[in-house]
Parts: sequence; structure tokens; C-alpha cells
Amino acid sequence: MAERIILEEKSYKTVCREGNILIKSFVPSHPKSNVYNEAYIHSCVEEAGIPVPKIISVTPSEDGGFAIAMEFIEGKTLQQMMAETPEKTDEYLERFVDIQLEVGAHRTPKLRNTRYKMIDIINGLTEIDASTRYELLQRIHGMKRHTKLCHGDFVPSNVIIRDDGSYCVIDWAHATSGNAGADAAITYLRFTLEDPELADKYLRLFCRKADMAIQYIQTWMPIVAAAELPRYKGAERELLEQWISVAEYQ
Amino acid sequence: MQEDKTIHTAESTVDTIEALTEKTLRMRKAQACFASYDQEAVDRIFYAAAMAANKARIPLAKLAVEETGMGIVEDKVIKNHFASEYIYNQYRSLKTCGVLEEDSVNGIMKIADPVGLIAAVIPTTNPTSTAIFKILICLKTRNAIILSPHPRAKQSTIAAAKLMLEAAVSAGAPDEIIGWIDTPSLELTNLVMKESDLILATGGPGMVRAAYSSGKPALGVGAGNVPVIIDSTADVRMAVNSIIHSKTFDNGMICASEQSVTALNDVYDEVKAEFSRRGCYFLSPDETRKVGAAMIINGSVNAKIVGQSAYKIASIAGVSVPEKTKILIGEVTDTSIAEPFAHEKLSPVLAMYRAETFDDALDISDALVLEGGPGHTASLFIDPAEKEKIKKHAERMHACRIVINMPSAQGGIGDIYNFKLIPSLTLGCGSWGGNSVSHNVGPMDLLNIKTVAERRENMLWFRTPDKIYFKRGCMPVALDELGTVMHKKRCFIVTDSFLYLNGYVRPIEEKLDSMGIAHTCFYDVAPDPTLACALTGTKAMASFGPDCIIALGGGSAMDAAKIMWVMYEHPEVNFEDMAMNFMDIRKRIYTYPEMGKKAYFVAIPTSSGTGSEVTPFAVITDDKTGTKYPLADYELMPDMAIVDTDNMMSQPKGLTSASGIDVMTHAIEAYVSVMASDMTDGIALKATKLVFDNLPAAYEKGAKDPAAREHMALASTLAGEAFANAFLGINHSLAHKLGAYHHIPHGVANALVLSYVIWYNASEVPAKMGTFPQYEYPHARKRYCDIARYNGIAGKDDEETLALFIAKLEDLKRTIGIPASIREFGIKEEDFLATLDEMTEKAFDDQCTGANPRYPLISEMKELYLMAYYGKDPKEAASL
Repeated sequence: MAERIILEEKSYKTVCREGNILIKSFVPSHPKSNVYNEAYIHSCVEEAGIPVPKIISVTPSEDGGFAIAMEFIEGKTLQQMMAETPEKTDEYLERFVDIQLEVGAHRTPKLRNTRYKMIDIINGLTEIDASTRYELLQRIHGMKRHTKLCHGDFVPSNVIIRDDGSYCVIDWAHATSGNAGADAAITYLRFTLEDPELADKYLRLFCRKADMAIQYIQTWMPIVAAAELPRYKGAERELLEQWISVAEYQ
Repeated sequence: MQEDKTIHTAESTVDTIEALTEKTLRMRKAQACFASYDQEAVDRIFYAAAMAANKARIPLAKLAVEETGMGIVEDKVIKNHFASEYIYNQYRSLKTCGVLEEDSVNGIMKIADPVGLIAAVIPTTNPTSTAIFKILICLKTRNAIILSPHPRAKQSTIAAAKLMLEAAVSAGAPDEIIGWIDTPSLELTNLVMKESDLILATGGPGMVRAAYSSGKPALGVGAGNVPVIIDSTADVRMAVNSIIHSKTFDNGMICASEQSVTALNDVYDEVKAEFSRRGCYFLSPDETRKVGAAMIINGSVNAKIVGQSAYKIASIAGVSVPEKTKILIGEVTDTSIAEPFAHEKLSPVLAMYRAETFDDALDISDALVLEGGPGHTASLFIDPAEKEKIKKHAERMHACRIVINMPSAQGGIGDIYNFKLIPSLTLGCGSWGGNSVSHNVGPMDLLNIKTVAERRENMLWFRTPDKIYFKRGCMPVALDELGTVMHKKRCFIVTDSFLYLNGYVRPIEEKLDSMGIAHTCFYDVAPDPTLACALTGTKAMASFGPDCIIALGGGSAMDAAKIMWVMYEHPEVNFEDMAMNFMDIRKRIYTYPEMGKKAYFVAIPTSSGTGSEVTPFAVITDDKTGTKYPLADYELMPDMAIVDTDNMMSQPKGLTSASGIDVMTHAIEAYVSVMASDMTDGIALKATKLVFDNLPAAYEKGAKDPAAREHMALASTLAGEAFANAFLGINHSLAHKLGAYHHIPHGVANALVLSYVIWYNASEVPAKMGTFPQYEYPHARKRYCDIARYNGIAGKDDEETLALFIAKLEDLKRTIGIPASIREFGIKEEDFLATLDEMTEKAFDDQCTGANPRYPLISEMKELYLMAYYGKDPKEAASL
């Protein structure tokens, strides 16, 4: 039996590798439905023909929790590659956007719709006042209804490039079907928090390649900022709050 | 004790879906009652509500500023005042109930009906004035209105609604005619839009999109991004102070507020100096960047600066400016969305651009409108005498309101700086803004206007040449007029070679010579005249330059002469356009050129047939393509017709027969046409009788019976007058194409299908009848029987009369040597069948089909052709 290497440990899950298999073990208190949901989303994406680690099984573990087993993918994430060879950042960013567009080209109506997910999150936000929530919901309501595959956390650390140059996208727990603009807005938000200059580069590149107006992605920004608000604290949270506090043109 | 339900429900809170659903049900009942009010009662309520809102303008303004933390009390007072007083004044005497207009002559009546329940979405920027405006236009139109306030401004919106409801109810309006959502949520706003009959949405693009996607008709308006140009010719002091007046109004929250100033290079410094002198602050490049970053976040306007003072906005951006600064101005060059100052700012912040030329200024302005406020408003300051520039600006801007030399915030809402721009607080942005309306919205947008249209008969006419001269030997007398009365100088004669060589032209030439009128003769017209022939004639005509044209001959010569006339007077005409079929000659797409400017047209027939001397028709064939162009327009009507039997004496037998039966067909078809009238009926009947009585003799005896010849000549002209005004029917449609496809003389072709068409048209149950207001029900059978009885034919009933009439026609045909069938005429069966489908479809599309009393099916016309081909019993056509 292959050696078990722990890759990541969080309060609710442990990710480890056993040879060619990656195992995500969830603690017993983690809702069973969440585990199966993640496996379900991942399977839908896999069936859509996107290069992802193949799901092998969902099994109960001895402690009463559940574990998802999937292929382990050898290679480096784009984030690692950018860090190792910063002079190639532009090249990698281009690859990154191409992959995002390939993913977004798929329609996955079986997945939950982005808008409903965001509506639920925003309705549950106690951090912002009712008027702002009203305006955000109104903004969502005015957006077009698409069913494009949205990763939900498409960042360079979730894209693995194998030695042969082929890619694989991981971490599909937040995937939904909805508007590519919303997915790009989340990516932009994550970039902004790390490296605002790279974020602007990303946004311009994405819009050019996707033939999408910057305004369209910008319209999503207050919405995704609100949906992401609970995950952040301190200065990052302040920035998101600024993003949320905008008025519609009259 | 039972509690008073009405009062209870009126006070019930709308905060859930259930409560809202109940509320809308009650409001619909109230509206149903309101819909029965008359104008006087409505106007009383309209007055009371306007008065109540006006009285409360100051407390409502205070409440709005206090609640929203935006804007300026004094300016909101003006908005409330405007929304009540100006709207009331504009519509005080507008009729909005019942019959709005009635035109009994044309049989048109317009009746106003309310739409029902109207959902009104109210923005935070104008929470009371917009509510007052929308409530007033709903009351004026007998609609119920339910308001969906913005959560940030609900108290002030509801306060306005409440006091107006009380006033309206006191003045007699039903309880709950005005309603509102007490606890606004998107769910309730969406539901209210879905439950309403029409939405008056004011707000940002999200709200407007939501309204349009609700499935209910919506009057939504979009965002503005008003660009101003200050032209070199403008009164700079007036311009700058107008902009300041407008931009500072309610801290710049009006959607029609200026967002950018583009000053022409030569006045730029003057503009800048005036802004500075009047308390505006020009930001340094660094300050401009800071304010821009604070103002626009990810392409949206920072909510914290909306409706705030310039000083406060500067503080937020970390820029220090004098506390009393009126407007912050950033001088920028980029008009794209990357430039924060290019956006709508909803605050006293302005962008300023420099333009080298007026065209540059237009480029900048239109780019800004399209970028941030498509379809909204654009503004221009200019010398009013610069009409060209004003027009150019208006043509260029993608804006539905273009205001000249006025503060745009107060100007765009209408009636303050221009008194024909209607006052409104809901400004349509047209398709550019994704709106269904491009005007300032008012009560007329909230009505269903019913148009009651009564059946009216179409005007008819009776048109003939100015002069018709007839009687044997009349020609020289009539021609005399050309010299003695009209003083014509040059006459161009058109005829065919047979007539020319046989001396028919000589009497005309002699008469002209005697009067000293120069003349020439074109005598190359062949039967079925071609365009090539007409072109040759026209060339000769153009070089001769006549002031009078004399057409001598049968239909061919007269038609060719008419075409030459057209081309001589209007060389630019296009025959394809002229020949386009029409449903109603008055409504045709092509307008015929005016004829007679160069030459007077005289038609002298030499056969008794086409009637072309008195008709507005001519047929010409394009010899290159084989296309026949049937032209029809009263411009083609000859000016003078001379019917002199001396010219007709030696017609050959075949011509007498074919053209004689053509006359009969003209008369019969004109009599049963849907356009037949009392003006044409008499002459049509008379023509049939003249033909029945004289055609056999004219055919048999020719010149030996001059009386029969004369009667036939007049019959031809009479029938021509009849069908020149009542038109023909499918007998001619069928004959035109039969003649064209199989080279059968026109009159004979008419005769071959005549009896079948009569039985067919006489059906009391046709598949379809002809369309014309005068044609009320299928009555062709009776009309044919009228002709029969006029000719002394009477059976025991219509059926028998019709049969006897047709028998008499068949007799006549036999007497004058018409074959019994198309086959008998000599057309081979395979040739006939090979062309049948194409011929039928062309016949269906013939211009004559439209006036037929029975609208034919193509299949029926095909059957008629087949019956006529094989010579079946005509009565079989009665069962089609």
C-alpha cells in the first residue's frame, strides 16, 4: 500500500495523497449532503468533458465521516509557476484566461444556478443593511440568465499544468451554472486582494479574449463582493465593503 | 358589532406576499369602480390630490432629505412643487375619460379607457416628487396605483402617497385607489410588477431591466449622462451659470443634470474663468485622480457621494476645497469608461473637455451619451442664430431630449425653460436606452385608447377627357380648336402604316396645314406596340418638339402614342415601377409624373373596340424581355377624344368582330365591377344594348350600314368611359394572359371565356367576394340580370334570366364568327396544358382581378381556362 501523505488539514477536512489517489476526508460533523454535493458537482463537471481529476468513490470512513477519493494529478499549479518564473507571468496569465474561457464554454444546467446561490447568500448577510441588500438583489435580478459553467473560485492555484503541458482544473466545490461575467468578477476580486496590478491585467485580457465589455463584469462586482464578504476580514473586508457600496446610475 | 371593513383594510400593512396579493385585489375593485367616474368627478379628485401634495411640499422635502441623507431641502421643495403644480396645470383640461374625439364624417371615434392597476417604482433620488407625479397621472386617467418605494426612502414616499390618498378619497375617489408596499423587498417589488397591468419604472438600469422582464408592459427610463457643449458662439456667462444652476440642483441627483462640459478651444479659458468666479473648483490633475478614484468604484458610482455637497465629496477623496465650493470640476480628455469623470456622477462633480472644433465637440458629446446615458438628454449652448450647428448637433446626438441654452436638469423635465416640452418626472430614453418610449411620459401613456371605426364608403370618381367630340364628320371641326382656340404650333401624328398608306392621315394633315400648324407623322406602330417602337417615336417626337400629339388608330396606335407622350414629357420614367399593380389606384406606391406640360393629347379611334381614346390605360411590350407593361393612371387620359365614324367605315370583318365583342365585355365587366357606380352603370347598360343591336349588322354589312357603325363607335366610347372609372374583372385577366400566351386577338380571347366568367361570378355563394366598401354582399347575379332585363331578356327568375342572357351572348358570338372554344380557335392541347399553370397564376395577378365581384382562387381560374378550352357547358362554371 502506498504511503499516506497529508497535503492539507482544515477544521472540517483532511486532504491526503495515497500514491495516485487523492483523498478528501471530512469530519463526521460535516454534513453528508455537502460531501455528496461536492462529489455530484465534480462528477457533472467531469461528465461535461473538462479535464478534472476523476472521482473514484465516495465512502464512509471509520470515524463516521465521509471521504471522496479521486485521481491525484501530477504537475504544478499556475500559481506555483508564476512564483517560480515571474518573467513568464504574462504568458501564464494568458494560458489561465484561455483555460477559464474553455471551462466557461460548457453549459451545465444540472448545476445550481449562480444567481440563486448568490441571492441566498445575500439574503443571509447581516453585515449589510436591508437597503443595500435590496439594491444588490435588484442588480442580480436585472442580469441576464445564463447556464455557463462557473468554477466559483477560478484562481491560478486551482489550475494544474502537467509536465506534458496539458491542464487540469481542481477544487470544484463552489461551481455553479450561470454567467461567465460573474465567474470573472470573482477571479478579479481574488487577484485584486493579492496583486491589483495583475488583477487589472487579468480583467483587460479576459474581456479582450471573451469579447465582453468591462462594464458587464463590473456590474457583477458589487454582487460577488457581497457574496464573498463572509470569507474576509480586516482591510480585505473593507475593500469589499467599498465595492458593495455603490449606487445604480439614474 | 361588525367593524368597518373598508377603513380597516385601508390601514392594513403590506409587508408579505399574502398581504400584497390581498391589497392588489382590493385595489382592483376600487379601480373598477373608479373606471365608471366621469371627467368632472375625476378632475375634482385630480385637483384635490394635486393641491394636497402642493401644500405638503416643504414637509415632504424635509422628510426625504432627512430619510435618505441625500439632496437639498430647498431644491426638493421645487421638485415637489413642480410635480404637483406643473403636472396639474398641464393636464387640468385634458380629456382622459370616455370619448376623446369624434369625427362623424369619417366615422372615427376615440374612447379612453384606464389601464387598470399601475405599479410605480419610486427611486431614492426623488422619493416624493416622483411619487406625486405618478399618482397624479394615474388619478387623472382613472387608474389605481400601487407604489413600490425604495427601502431607503420608504417613509417619505409613503407619506406623500398617504396624504394624496386622503385628499383623493375626500374628493370622492374610491378607498384604496392609491396603495403602497410598507416594507419594500425585491420579492414584493417583483410581485407588484407582475400583478400590475402596467409598470411605471423609474430607477437605475437594474430596476428598469427588471420591469421590462416582468412580462408586463413597462414604461421604464434609463440612466442619463448629459453632455453639454459650449460653442464658440455661446453666451458664456449665461451658459456657465445655467450649468451651475442645474448641476447644483438637489446636489446633482436629477438624471438630466449635466455630467460633462465640452468647451470649444476659443472660449475654454473664458468658461473656466466664469466657473471659478462663480465658486466652482478646478481640481489639479492629482486631485482629479483622487476624486475619480473615490467617486467611481469598479465602474459604479460610490453610494456615499450620491447627492452630497462638493465639499463633502472632496473630503471623502482627501482633497481640501473651500467649504462653499459649488462644483468640483476635473479637466479630462478620455471619454471612455476608463475615465471616472466620463461617468454619470449623481453629485455636483463635472468633467470638462476641450474641443478644437465643433465636430470634435460633437464626437465627445455623443461618445459620452452612448457610454453612460444612451437616449437620455444632451445639451448645447450656442448662439440661437446658428441654426445649422443646432441641427447638426440634434442629428448627431443619441438623445431623446436635446436642450438648447438652458439648465438641463430643470430644462429636461419640461415646462420651465420651454413651454412645449411637456412636464414630466419620467423621461423616456427610446430604444437607445432600451425603453418603449422616447418622450416625456404623461397621462396619455396610461390609457387604452379604443378607436371605434364605422364602415365608410370610399370616394368614387368619374373622369373622362376634357373634350369628347363625336358624330360622323366631326373630326375637322374638332381639330379646328387646336388652331383657333388653343393656338397650337407643332403637331406630331402617331399612326400605323396601314392607315397612313391608305390616306387616313391626309384629312388631318390638310386641316393642320390650313391652320398653319407644322406637323409630322410617325406611322411605324405595329400591333402590340413595343418599347423599341415607342423609343423610336419618342426620339422623333423629341427632335420635332410638338405642342400637340394626335394619335390616330386602334388601341395599338393610341397606346403607343400615350407611351411616347410619357417618355417625351418625362424621359426619366421607369416602366417597371409605372406598371406595378395596385390595390387602390389612389394608394399606389408610384406617383405618376404630371402630363400635358409639353403637349396636348388628341386621340382619334379608327376601330370600335378598345375605348383607349377615353381611358387612362396603355399597354406596351418590352421587346427585349417580352414583358408587357400595362400602365394605368389618369395622367394617361387623353385631353381630347374625336370619335368620327368616317375613320371607321372600312374596318375589316375580323376587327369588327373582335373589337365589337371586346366592347361588350368592357360594358359587362364595368357593370358588375365592385367599383361600379350610378355614374358608370347607365353608360355601361347603354353600351351593351348598342352592341347587341348593332354588332351583327356592322359585322355583316360593314360600311354599308353606317348607322350600325356609328352606334358601335359610340358603344365603344361609352364602354371605355365606364371601365375607365369602374374598371374591369377577371374576364379581362383571363383574356390578357390567354392572348399573350397563345396569340389570340384580345377581343376573341375575351369572348372565349365570357360565358364561363359570368356563370362563375354569378354564384350566390362564392368562395371569396371582392374587397371594396361599396361591395356589401355578393350580388353579381342580380347585376347580370339587370343587363339582361335592360336588353329585354326576362326569365321566370334570375337563374333563367341569366341562362337566357348567356344564350343571347353565345348567339351573338356565333353570328360574328367567334369560335366555340379555345381548342376550336386552333390552340393545340399540349401547348395549352403546358402553359396552363403559369398562365393561370399570371392571370390571377392581373391588374383587372382586383375589381372583380368575386375574388378568385387560382384553382378556380384554372378550371375556367380548362372549361373554355374544351368548350364545356358554361353553366358548369356556376358550380365552381
